[in-house]
Amino acid sequence: MNRFGWVHTTAVGISAVLALTTGCKKKEEGATGGTGATGDGPVTLNASGATFQKAAQEVAIEAFTKAHKQIKINYGGGGSGKGRKEFADQVVDYACADAPYKGDDAKSVKGGEFFYIPNLLGAITVSYKLDGADKLQLSAETLAKIFQREIKKWNDAAIAADNPDAKLPETDIVVVRRAEGSGTTENFTKYLGLAAGGAWKLGSGSSVEWPGDTQAGNGNGGVADIVLKTNGAIGYVDLSDAKAKGLTWAAVKNQAGKYVMPTAGSVTAAGDGIEVNDQLLFSALNAKGDAAYPITAQSWCLVYAKQADKAKGNAVKAYFRYLVTDAQKLLSEIDFAPIPKALQDKALAQIEKIQVP
Amino acid sequence: MTAIDLRAKRSWRSTKSQLVTGLMIAAVVAIFIPLAAVLWSLVERGGGIVVAAFPDFFTEEIPQFSRRAGPGMGPAVVGTLLATGAATVMAVPLGVLGAVYLHEYGGKDRFARVVRFMATVMTGVPSIVMGLFIYLMWTIRFGFSAFGGALALACLMLPVVIGSAEQMLRLVPNHLREASYALGATRSRTILTVVLPAAIPGIVSGCLLAIARAAGETAPLLFAVGAAKAFNTSVFHEANTALSVQIFGNAMDVPAAQARAWGAALTLVLLTFLLTLSARLITGRFAMKR
Amino acid sequence: MELFDLRGHRQHADRAFRWGALGAAAVVLVVLALIAITMTDRARPVLGEMGLDFFTTTKWSVPTNTYGALGFIYGTLYTALIAISLAVPISFGVALFITQVAPRPLRKLLVYVIDLLAVVPSVVFGLWGLLVMAPALGLHASFFTAGIILAIMITPIITSLSREVIETTPATDKEAALALGATRWEMITATVWPHSKGGLVGAVMLGLGRAMGETIAATLVIGNTVNITASPFAPGYSMPTVIANEFGEAEPLHKSALIALAVTLFVITIAVNLVATWVVQRSMRRSGGK
Repeated sequence: MNRFGWVHTTAVGISAVLALTTGCKKKEEGATGGTGATGDGPVTLNASGATFQKAAQEVAIEAFTKAHKQIKINYGGGGSGKGRKEFADQVVDYACADAPYKGDDAKSVKGGEFFYIPNLLGAITVSYKLDGADKLQLSAETLAKIFQREIKKWNDAAIAADNPDAKLPETDIVVVRRAEGSGTTENFTKYLGLAAGGAWKLGSGSSVEWPGDTQAGNGNGGVADIVLKTNGAIGYVDLSDAKAKGLTWAAVKNQAGKYVMPTAGSVTAAGDGIEVNDQLLFSALNAKGDAAYPITAQSWCLVYAKQADKAKGNAVKAYFRYLVTDAQKLLSEIDFAPIPKALQDKALAQIEKIQVP
Repeated sequence: MTAIDLRAKRSWRSTKSQLVTGLMIAAVVAIFIPLAAVLWSLVERGGGIVVAAFPDFFTEEIPQFSRRAGPGMGPAVVGTLLATGAATVMAVPLGVLGAVYLHEYGGKDRFARVVRFMATVMTGVPSIVMGLFIYLMWTIRFGFSAFGGALALACLMLPVVIGSAEQMLRLVPNHLREASYALGATRSRTILTVVLPAAIPGIVSGCLLAIARAAGETAPLLFAVGAAKAFNTSVFHEANTALSVQIFGNAMDVPAAQARAWGAALTLVLLTFLLTLSARLITGRFAMKR
Repeated sequence: MELFDLRGHRQHADRAFRWGALGAAAVVLVVLALIAITMTDRARPVLGEMGLDFFTTTKWSVPTNTYGALGFIYGTLYTALIAISLAVPISFGVALFITQVAPRPLRKLLVYVIDLLAVVPSVVFGLWGLLVMAPALGLHASFFTAGIILAIMITPIITSLSREVIETTPATDKEAALALGATRWEMITATVWPHSKGGLVGAVMLGLGRAMGETIAATLVIGNTVNITASPFAPGYSMPTVIANEFGEAEPLHKSALIALAVTLFVITIAVNLVATWVVQRSMRRSGGK
């Protein structure tokens, strides 16, 4: 028997490991049947989507999970396109996107009816790096031409016209945009379509056919990274990430003809006149008003109206409630703006309609 | 051997030879440079966060808010260990048994040759292809988990284990087998009690190298493991994370997150070096010499 | 030594063991078959949509559902080419140094260093390349930057294999050359090179195969933009990197296109690896090597 001893020991060892791990499985299954508003047992929620509001999600998750120790939330980011896709395939429990499903895509959502819950407003900055010029202002038409690669150098006449006082070097412009499907891209290109008149020719969508000689970054962070390292670069980055990375951004001309910098104030001003439909969809882009920042975007969190799992359903509902109430106070610190109070109330009402078994 | 032209002046030929030797030395220096540079960066940029608040880096969760500075890659270490460990448990027994079949039973027959050929083919599968395969077969149906990642890693490890184990079995002298048969042992008994024990050090060494490679893989885990930030000690349940995936994700993130990426990179490199050096030690001390 | 039990029922256990081992060996075939079947099946939709134009179109546009692989095939080949042209001189130089010039203790040290370089995870090289090497050399994300990182990663493989091939050069040939008064370099060109040529080509091809399949290190530094241009400093894209970037969010046809790219990559790397292995084996067999 001695010679086979090691075979037996190994077999026992492997069985033990397998037993332990399957044991863990049963333990977790037993524990997720909880009672009460947030469930008694440990619950994990998986989410993905917009990097535009990644910082806001992380801050909210941090605070929420500290208060509810048995809930874990993993927000994977990946872009609005990924969020919408994974939500439709029911791979995640909720998703965030800066733009709603387009047309027929909404039919591919497998879990039935779902809600768009808006939870913030934010600025899309036009960030750039140009040695020697740090206070630029740009109009929509100029922006359209730059991002279409019709304007290729910083000292171009159009840029000079927007900036009569600035000394513009002859540097090449390096356009930076998103590699993956992005709500930020969608909102930025939508803005250019609305505000630049006929000058913007590439349409709008989570990806567009960018010219070949542009650089692509992954996530808002990736774009910010490239802009930060490349002299002459210009790209669109949400304000929160731009500030965190120490980028410089331009003032943009709004509908009223004023050049406005993206700040909490100008973003909130842009949110003032929004028209919200029954599904809580709206657009804050190209807002009217002197003080409004024209490239103000919004973002929603998607959640199914009929939850399949009790513990997860309760957790999602509680987290979403948190997002449109207490979490709104956390937004200004990371350079987002809360949604108008009336919209918060409407969102809360929508959340209450979520059915949990 | 081709003819050498010995007509040129000796001094020029010597110089030429010395020049070439110089180029060779330059090449050797060139190969040291990236290794030294990477190790230096790892220690300089990752050492701080790993060593400063010592166990915190391994016991703290990954901060939810990626801009928050400070340690925490514990869940990633756990995830890497779980995925690599589970992959090893699957790939090593299968691989060793498979190699046993190929060498002890199969030999040169048709089936064995096809398997050997396919194993070579399988070593060349790009890791992203393996990652996609596991996504389509497993993640879509069962969600994210460390086990999904382990499956992908096991598929990558299996052909490597088979190859190196078979090589080790080949080194076991035949007279050991013959002596065992002469005493009336069955083939399986011979393999289990004579051949495998003789080849074990070499097999273990080969497996350690395969494990080291698996621990460092990123692409297969990207679509299988998920993006957890909290500890998850379950192999089969819920999304997990891994050191390699975290490094990849944080590389273009805010500086606070990048600092954690360096710490994770340092940890991962130390782990793989440890495995590799152990493998070399075992080979040096215990294995059958060629 | 124990007396073995010579009664009859051992035969069943023996047979069971044999079947078990055969099953383990067959797993390789099963997995490969599954990979081939599932991936080609999922790739079919896009080929149905685009036909063979898939391989000749440059345009890859998600909004219009037009998918062309040419840009990525070009990127994969171009970066691999850059990687090979950087890695081969260094690998050969180091291999020659180890086998012909270095004194014994230095030889061992160098082999260790190469092992360590080989086991550093690709994601760590990617992180280092992105955050340290590229800024230090003033480089942006481009074919060239990706090529350098790939070169560093494939050098150990090419070096190790080259070393093994070179070592099979018969000592008698080398000594004969030296006895005739050849310098070291002349000895190498006269004896080592003609003898190892085939094997070295095989080693380079294996490195090539590895460079083409490498995903993670390249993704961080390649630039993520389709560009068919001769300029190595332009941003580029390759098959594995686009899959890694776009798979997460892809709609069905897009996904099918990415899987088709994966299959293309699979086929190309496997073909290169097979030819390389055959060439190396043939060269080793010829020289009566191990």
